Amino acid sequence: MAASKDYTKLSDEALVKASQRGVTKAFEELVARHRDKVYARAFSMMRNEDDAVDVSQEAWVKGWQRLKQFQGDSSFLTWMTRIVINLSLDALRKQKRQRAESIEELEDEAGGVERQMPVVTTNPTAGLERTELRQRIDKALSQLSYEHRTVLVLHEFEELEYKEIAKRMQCSIGTVMSRLFYARRKMAALMAGYKKKELAP
Amino acid sequence: MNTDFKLKLQSLVDGELGESEARALEARLVGDAEAQALKAELEMTRQALRGNELERAVPLSREFYWSQIERRIEQAERQAARSSSGLAVWLGRFWPQLAGATAAACLLAVVALNLRGVSESPWEDIETPLAEAGSFSFRSEQHRMTLVWVSFGEPSNEGTTEGTVN
Repeated sequence: MAASKDYTKLSDEALVKASQRGVTKAFEELVARHRDKVYARAFSMMRNEDDAVDVSQEAWVKGWQRLKQFQGDSSFLTWMTRIVINLSLDALRKQKRQRAESIEELEDEAGGVERQMPVVTTNPTAGLERTELRQRIDKALSQLSYEHRTVLVLHEFEELEYKEIAKRMQCSIGTVMSRLFYARRKMAALMAGYKKKELAP
Repeated sequence: MNTDFKLKLQSLVDGELGESEARALEARLVGDAEAQALKAELEMTRQALRGNELERAVPLSREFYWSQIERRIEQAERQAARSSSGLAVWLGRFWPQLAGATAAACLLAVVALNLRGVSESPWEDIETPLAEAGSFSFRSEQHRMTLVWVSFGEPSNEGTTEGTVN
């Protein structure tokens, strides 16, 4: 009990070093510290509570197994976030293989809908509280296809460049660019369409 | 506006264009209200989304969430230990056969290499008359020699070799 209390006072770096020596209590503390952020990223991509819990737990297992490879070039959380993103992408690919795509989805991917969308000229997010803005974004994200959602998460939340996104999504840079474009256009339209009351829990 | 131009506009917003290309595109935008509006929308969406991921908490207690992770880690470690010991058992079991077959293959290779120089040999024959993969015989009429290499699976008979020169 006392040993567990000690770990809460250690920095991430010290906890990582202890975990690399096989101290599971140190790793448990890292999980406790960052579990919500890792889970939130999994949820942003998977859009399902059970899947997000499963993928985030798998990410922690992988994190433990690969700890020796962690050199500290980035923060531990950044490293874990990358792991959970890769696992989410794998899970989404698997899910996609198991279901047939609808004609609407295929059209959406090719930008068929975008051609009919007028440009949003007034800022739909102006004057929103941060929490409200985040809720609006989250609601809009849940209405996108997984390709469009993923490219937005990687570009806007993870702040990756086109090249890096292409590598992770196993597609060309051109595909990333067009997916990002259509995803943004759809997001703008969706966010503009929401009324405040629609976001109330 | 064609798709290429729209995507270039987006690259400009994301800072993915080279300096000269960005300048040229900005110059093109000056008289194009439609393109300017689209650029403004792309910028607005980008700005709104940046860093604004909804915060979420794991819907399980800390203890339960960790206990499941811990169990998965233990499971994975047990599995890894099992598969590595499984390989050791397999190697231990089939080691005599593997060793015999390897030795036979090496001998065959050596003999074949040695005979490469005798290209005009009128009669050379290599066969494996037994069902077991470890049995080989080699006959050369020119050298008036027959060599038989027999390798049985049972450890007691392992490595039985017979050589005959006629």
